[in-house]
Amino acid sequence: MEIVTKNAPHLRNPKARVSRFMGDVSIALTPLVLFAIYQHGLDALWILLAAVLSMVATEYVYYQVVDWLERRREAKSDTEKKIRDLKLDKAQLRKELREKKSDAAKEAYDSFMETYREELPKLKEKLREENKQAPRKANKSFRLLNRSFTLGNFSVITSGIIYGLTLPDVIPLGMAITGGVAGILLGKLIFGGLGQNIFNPAAFARVFVTLSFGTALGYQAFVDAEAGATVLTALNENLANQQIVETYGYTALFTGIGLPGSLGETSALLILVGGLYLALRKSFDLFVPLTYVGTVLVLSLSVMWTQGLGFWFPLAQVLSGGLLFGAVFMATDPISIPVTRPGRIYFAFGLGVLTFLIRLFGNLPEGVVFAIVFMNMFSPAIDYPRWSRNRFSARSVLIFAAVVALAILITNVGVYYVE
Amino acid sequence: MIGRTKRINDYKQIDRALPAQRFVDPEYVFLPLRTGRCAEYELEVEEGDDVALAQRLGMRRGKFFEQPILSTVSGTVVDTVEMTDEQGEKRPFLKVRNDYQDTPAEGMRERTEEEISALSKDEFVEIVKDNAIVGLGGSGFPSYIKMTSGHDIHTVVVNGVECEPYLQSDYYLIKEQAEEMLRGLSYIMRAVGAERGVVAVKSTKGALVEAVEKELGRFEGMNMQLAKVADYYPQGWENATFEAAVGTKVPVGTLPMEYGILGFNASTCAHIYEAVKYNRPILKRFVTVNGDALKNPLLVRVRVGTSVRELIDLAGGFREDVEQGNVVLGGPMMGVAAPDVDVAVVPTTVSILVIEDEEHVEEPCVRCGSCIYSCPVDIQPVSIMNAVKRGDKKALQQLEADRCIECGLCAYVCTSKIHVTDYCREGKRQVR
Repeated sequence: MEIVTKNAPHLRNPKARVSRFMGDVSIALTPLVLFAIYQHGLDALWILLAAVLSMVATEYVYYQVVDWLERRREAKSDTEKKIRDLKLDKAQLRKELREKKSDAAKEAYDSFMETYREELPKLKEKLREENKQAPRKANKSFRLLNRSFTLGNFSVITSGIIYGLTLPDVIPLGMAITGGVAGILLGKLIFGGLGQNIFNPAAFARVFVTLSFGTALGYQAFVDAEAGATVLTALNENLANQQIVETYGYTALFTGIGLPGSLGETSALLILVGGLYLALRKSFDLFVPLTYVGTVLVLSLSVMWTQGLGFWFPLAQVLSGGLLFGAVFMATDPISIPVTRPGRIYFAFGLGVLTFLIRLFGNLPEGVVFAIVFMNMFSPAIDYPRWSRNRFSARSVLIFAAVVALAILITNVGVYYVE
Repeated sequence: MIGRTKRINDYKQIDRALPAQRFVDPEYVFLPLRTGRCAEYELEVEEGDDVALAQRLGMRRGKFFEQPILSTVSGTVVDTVEMTDEQGEKRPFLKVRNDYQDTPAEGMRERTEEEISALSKDEFVEIVKDNAIVGLGGSGFPSYIKMTSGHDIHTVVVNGVECEPYLQSDYYLIKEQAEEMLRGLSYIMRAVGAERGVVAVKSTKGALVEAVEKELGRFEGMNMQLAKVADYYPQGWENATFEAAVGTKVPVGTLPMEYGILGFNASTCAHIYEAVKYNRPILKRFVTVNGDALKNPLLVRVRVGTSVRELIDLAGGFREDVEQGNVVLGGPMMGVAAPDVDVAVVPTTVSILVIEDEEHVEEPCVRCGSCIYSCPVDIQPVSIMNAVKRGDKKALQQLEADRCIECGLCAYVCTSKIHVTDYCREGKRQVR
């Protein structure tokens, strides 16, 4: 046996794998996918396929291009490398001269520049001749799988399914594909791929679709088909519109059967089943969906109380629209949310407040994806080392409680003036 | 997974019903002349000299203390050889041939209980110092310095938790020498004037709970208790043990003595008993020889100074189908990987583990937060890693990277298999 040394620890948890929890999310989404196909027929299947494949294909093509560029850089000739090194040396010496301003540095720079002026034209001439004799060949070793492609740990498939499930059932396939490409490219790859993205790619893609095609589709028709929109739009226009909720009945609101809306967001029951599975497998942070839904519930309860509405109002707020889906599957994507537990709770609280405010006062009926994308931008600020802490301190709990009270107050004052 | 990990797989598969094997007498013993804490030494014997058991062979000198080098066998001094010490570095060792006579040195004699109760604190400290008793949990810190900290001590805690996977040395010690351990505790309590003694063992180790409870019956007037602590990692970390056993939170960076608590490892207590009762230094100790790359893992009581090569042979040697392995001195979570097996058992050698080497493919960090949730000192390993990567010293200070205890849990739980602990070590180094 050969003895090798390593730094401690010499043991790793064999159960901890990225592919495990990303795969778990895909498994938790499966009942929703089946339900969408049951409810909307084959249309749903095509939309979901378009969403998943557009994202997977975009990531694949992107990394193939990255790999190809890298191979090209590696394939540079010796003369090219010499020219590059010479230029780098010059930059280095110039930088030293600017910083130190000493005579020694000046001397070194001057003597280097003499050789530089001599060498550079020679090397350039040599390169030109080399290219004339034998045109540069790009390294053509094509590999089917490239190293950074994240198909193996389910992350891109999960994004694709989540994005597909947030789409309405009447969306043309072209729009679904455009959204998927934009979401994965602008929401994830442009920042450096898995682990570096500041936005949740699925939420970003969904926002992209709403903003780009909302009017093109005809806003009214589009809105009608959107996430539980018939319920929420009506509420958005008139807070005390209880009839809308009663048309569908609470059973429909809970199970999603016969409810109009986007593919995967209607069935609260199946979303909760998926969430339960993830919680049992410890594949997400349970505190995020709990805080998120809890915040919306508390805010709507307070509005119910001040406006004298019935208990149907908070119930409709929680069960309808994409709230549960967003809370369980989108807000828990660990990459784009803060890393500490207090940070995650602040983040989820922010999501709840934003969602509720957009629903009540915004001109969009559905606030979940916008809230998620908006709060994603605050993750680095919440994680800022100066104030991010691993545990709650007495002081942070006090401040947080004050912020919660303030949020409730502002919401109710706003409702009072708008009504 | 995403959430707090407190339990880790413990691999303690040596049959607990068996007694420890007694492999005590190697032909040669190797005694370290220099250690990590003592850079200089001075020898009082020459090659070819005859030495007695527990005879002083010289002195090690450190920055703030000195320590006698004591022979663990009687026999002849052979020469000085270069060997790997428990920190994985090459250091000089004195090679002594064993004559199997165990001729005791002059000072070695038994004290009666009356003599012991008449000892003053200074005399007691002198005995512990002269017998070179150090913290046997792995720290190697001289015990007499702990006793002379100058703070008022009200509680002495015996740490028998042994939370690292694979290790069973303290388990066997408590099972077989519970009485010695408790007598050691009573001597320490008398010496430092503590009112209370607490023995902390894991609640899951039924045999230990039973053994300690039975022996505690002999010490009825002494106010000594058993504290059953939960089976977590790193519960054996001193501060975690104090919190679980006594309920006192000792912040990282302060001494437990400031809070009136003094902690000793279970083996240290047993050896303090031997030092006081028989004036005997650490001659033998329990060593776990374990790991998945060994044929017959075992637990032995060996003479201090035994070569590790012999112990590995005793365990049947390396398994043939293992191509690469780590030889770890200490536990797998915090132990040091030795570059070779030219190692001798020193008083602080708890175990020799030979573990099959595993290649871990690092994936990009997905910020799952497992390391932050699991951190026992409540710092943020992943944020420290990112700060180290971008060279942000200010952020490292704000993240309190110097509080890291290098327990290894962050790398253990990492879903992307990143060596987070290494980054934390680097961050800690940069802050200090």
